[in-house]
Parts: sequence; C-alpha cells; structure tokens
Amino acid sequence: MRPLGWAASTAVLAVLASVPWIASPTLIQFGITTLLLATVAQAWNIVGGYAGYASFGNSVFYGLGSYGTAIAMVQLNLPFGVGLALGAALAMLFALLLGLPVLRLRGHYFAIATLALALAMTGIVSNLEIAGRNTGLVLPLLKGDALFYELALGLLALVTLTVIWISRSRFGFGLIAIREDEDAAAVMGVNTTLFKAAAFTLAGFFTALAGGIHAYWITFIDPVSAFDITLNVKMIIMAIFGGAGSVLGPLVGALLLASISEVLTTEVSTAASLFYGLVIVVAVVFMPRGLVNVVRHFKRLGWRYFSENLRSHRL
Amino acid sequence: MKPILEVCHLTKHFEGLVAVDDVSFELAEGEILGLIGPNGAGKTTLVSLISGTLEPSDGKVLFQGTRIGHLPAFRRARLGIGRTFQLMKPFPGLDVLDNVAIAALFGTGGGQRRLGRAREEAAYWLEFVDLGHRARYRADDLGGPDRKRLELAKALAMKPRLLLLDEVMAGLNHAEIDEVVAIIKKVRSRGITILVIEHVMKAIQSLSDRLLVLHHGQRIAEGPPDGVLNDPQVIEAYLGRRHA
Repeated sequence: MRPLGWAASTAVLAVLASVPWIASPTLIQFGITTLLLATVAQAWNIVGGYAGYASFGNSVFYGLGSYGTAIAMVQLNLPFGVGLALGAALAMLFALLLGLPVLRLRGHYFAIATLALALAMTGIVSNLEIAGRNTGLVLPLLKGDALFYELALGLLALVTLTVIWISRSRFGFGLIAIREDEDAAAVMGVNTTLFKAAAFTLAGFFTALAGGIHAYWITFIDPVSAFDITLNVKMIIMAIFGGAGSVLGPLVGALLLASISEVLTTEVSTAASLFYGLVIVVAVVFMPRGLVNVVRHFKRLGWRYFSENLRSHRL
Repeated sequence: MKPILEVCHLTKHFEGLVAVDDVSFELAEGEILGLIGPNGAGKTTLVSLISGTLEPSDGKVLFQGTRIGHLPAFRRARLGIGRTFQLMKPFPGLDVLDNVAIAALFGTGGGQRRLGRAREEAAYWLEFVDLGHRARYRADDLGGPDRKRLELAKALAMKPRLLLLDEVMAGLNHAEIDEVVAIIKKVRSRGITILVIEHVMKAIQSLSDRLLVLHHGQRIAEGPPDGVLNDPQVIEAYLGRRHA
C-alpha cells in the first residue's frame, strides 16, 4: 500500500473507532456483529481465498473460541483475556492436528471432510460435562457494548494487517501457488503441507478470537449455536461476494451483505431470506470474482464485464 | 567428470503397467542428455520420478551423490532440480511476471526471500527467454509459444543445477524452435546440466551430447546422437519392423 493508502485506512479506522460515542445502541450492536463477521470472513480468506482450500471447518474454530472463553471464565474463574487465549490455543491445536490429515484432500473432498468435522463437534461438545453438555454455558454479564465494539474493530484491523502482509510476502505467494496449481507449486520448492497447515492455523487463530469476543458479548452459548454451520456459509459468501484472495474483498462483502440483510429483515421481514438469496445468486452469476474485481475492471470493460461473465457460465 | 545425477535400476509401475522398467543412466555435470522414445515410452514418468512428482516403485536416484528417491518434490527443488511440464502449468490467475517471481521466491536453496528482489529476478529471466514484453499479461492470456517460454522462465528462475525440460518445443514452428534451441544453449553455457525430452529430432540432435532412448519403459539405446539414431533397434521402435 502506498502512503496515501495507509493514510486513508487510518482515517477510516479512526471514524469507525468513534462510532460507539456517536451512534445509537442498535447501530453499535449491528456494528459489533458486522465487524465480527468481517473478521471471520477475512480469516476464511487466508485459507479459502489465498490457499484455495474451501474450508467448512472454520465455524469449528469459532465454536472452540467461544467454548474456550466460556469454560475459562465460567468453570475456571479465569479472566476474559486468558479465556480468549485458551480458545485461540484450542482452535490452533485443532487446526494443526486435524489440518495435517484433512489438508491432504483436495477440492470437494476437503470441503466435505471439514463439513463433517463441524457436524461432529456439535455432538462431541454436547456430551462434555465441562462444556455444560447440551444446555451450554452462561457467561458473566458485562454491560459495555462500546468495549466489545472496539475489541471487534481491533481484531478486524489485526486480521486485515495480516492479510495485507500475506498478499505481498513469500508466504502469501506460496499460498497463491498452491491455490493455482499445487503440483506445480511443490515442484518449484513450496513446502505445500507446511504452508497449508500454517494458513489453516492462522485462520483458526483469528476465527477463535472472534468467537470468544462474541461469546462474552452475548453471554450465552450452546453447542448448536456455537458450532452453527451457517456462520461458515456466511463467511464464504461474504468473502466471495467481495472478492476472495484480495485484501478488501471480504471487508466489502461483509459490510454490504450484513447491511443488505439488516435492511431486508427490518423492511420486508417475511421475504428477507428470499431477497438475500437472490442478491447472492445474481452476484455469483454476474461477478464471480467478487465486487473488488468489478471495480478494478469496470473502467476498462464497462458493462461488457457483466455480459462476458454471464457468457462464460454458459447459462 | 563426477555425475550430478545417477539413476540406478529405476522402476515405476502403475497397477499392472510397467511405465519405467529397470532404467539406469548417469548425467555428467554440464552435460545435455536428450531423452527420446515413441509416445508412451515412459519419458515423462522418468522425469517425474527424478523431480519427485511420482515415487519410484524400485531403484535409486542420486543427486550430487545423495539419495533423493524418497524426498518430497519441494525438497528436490531446493536441492536444485527444476522442471517444466509438458502440459504447461502456469498459475492462470497471476500475471506473467509474478508467475516467474514465485519460482524465484522458492527454488534452489529456498530462493529469494524478498518479493521485490524476486520480481527483479523474474524480469531478468523473462528477458532471457524473450518474453519481457508480456510481463504484465495474465498467464492464461498467453498463446502456446509464449506459454512454453514462460514455463522455461519459471524453471530457470528457480536457479536449478539440473534442469528437466519436458517437450518445450512441441507445437512450435521452425523459427520458434531455433530460438528455444538458442536459449537452451545459453542456459548450458552457464553450467546448468540439462535433461531434455523432445520429439523434434533435428533440434535434439544438435543440442544433445548424448541420447538415451526409451521404449516400453526400457532403455534400448544410449550414446552419441548420430550413432543412436542409426541404431536398427531405435529405428524399429519408431517406425516398426519393416523399416529397420
């Protein structure tokens, strides 16, 4: 990024950070949700967008982060910070231990295997005494949406900085090589196993922190909501809608889709999910490489951009 | 001279099919060895066994005196083995420059650590193969001949000690073949050892110090190009019995 880019980003960050002092409680709550969604979409971007491994297991990281935090605070009476660290450590361990075998699978097989992991976790956690079995855990109440907002914003900034670094580092180019052609990457000297595991673990770290913040904020977690697979679907849709494999894509995707969803549920509540689905279908058909890619190429191609995408689908 | 590569009794079978059958040969430092044979003779399989994309069923591969047959492909790349693919594998979403930069970032000894330096090196190798003017094209927008050059530039940017070229001239016209031959000679003059698979006989004859002929996975002839190409067994393998 050029100096101008850094200056603009700092300005945007400052404006976003001031929101809790000027906005309504509803808007702050919307802000927290959206920032956490953007964080998990950006974290998914590392493994799904850069390394090209469409993970359905990232909601497991989120659940582990939630439960790590909850168990530490409720069962062990430890402070929130320690809980976050425990959740993140659990998720990273999980990413490493299960990532090594599962990341050997490619394409659809990887997606299916991670999906199975996510479903299995709900069952496992429902039977753990320390996790409160299937009734879940109630965390201590902390009234302070502003704090949660700033935490979520800080986390989003951190994961985005990480992705900026990835996009211009040897590590990131290794991931891109894996995404584009794994065999060719290996023959060039990319340690594909190590790189994939590192990407998965990094995604696990950030996703778990988001889960931990969310758990403390809503003060209640249970297995079904903590390991909810629809969260994973959301992060994928947001990352792809904005543009997976780019720095800005997941941010733009999360902000736009969360806003659209919010407006639809308040204005046309009954048909909201129908419209939401329609937006996504249209987006995938006309801009499969995401919104960021449209902005980049629209100037040169104009409306032809959309018609060419339509044609390439052979619909 | 001390061999850089030693292949001893190398065998690879897929289920029942024996693709490479007890093949042994050596490659001296700085040499160009031409690997020829009819389609399905096992040439690409042999190259894959050396570069590590396939694991041998039996036999040994030694690179600079150490056994590498069990090493994963990326380790062999770091030791200094670079290859091109017959079915070219450019990274389609990236531009040509970054395609080559990735090779410079990894490659022999772990490559260049800094992206900026890697891009400078990539630009150099693009000029080397005469593709500098396409640096900002997307790799999948390149035509056939340019893709061959890109494949070559990627392999070179790894700074290999041993370069395995799998049909880099297929589909090129005469003028383009001459250019690629000139590039390969330029590569050799830098002391890089080369194993080249090729069907274009005129090119391989003028390039190679030695030829190795495979047929049904077996080595049927080896030696200086002129002798080998007049060997009745080789002619028979290519053209059938009545021509021999």
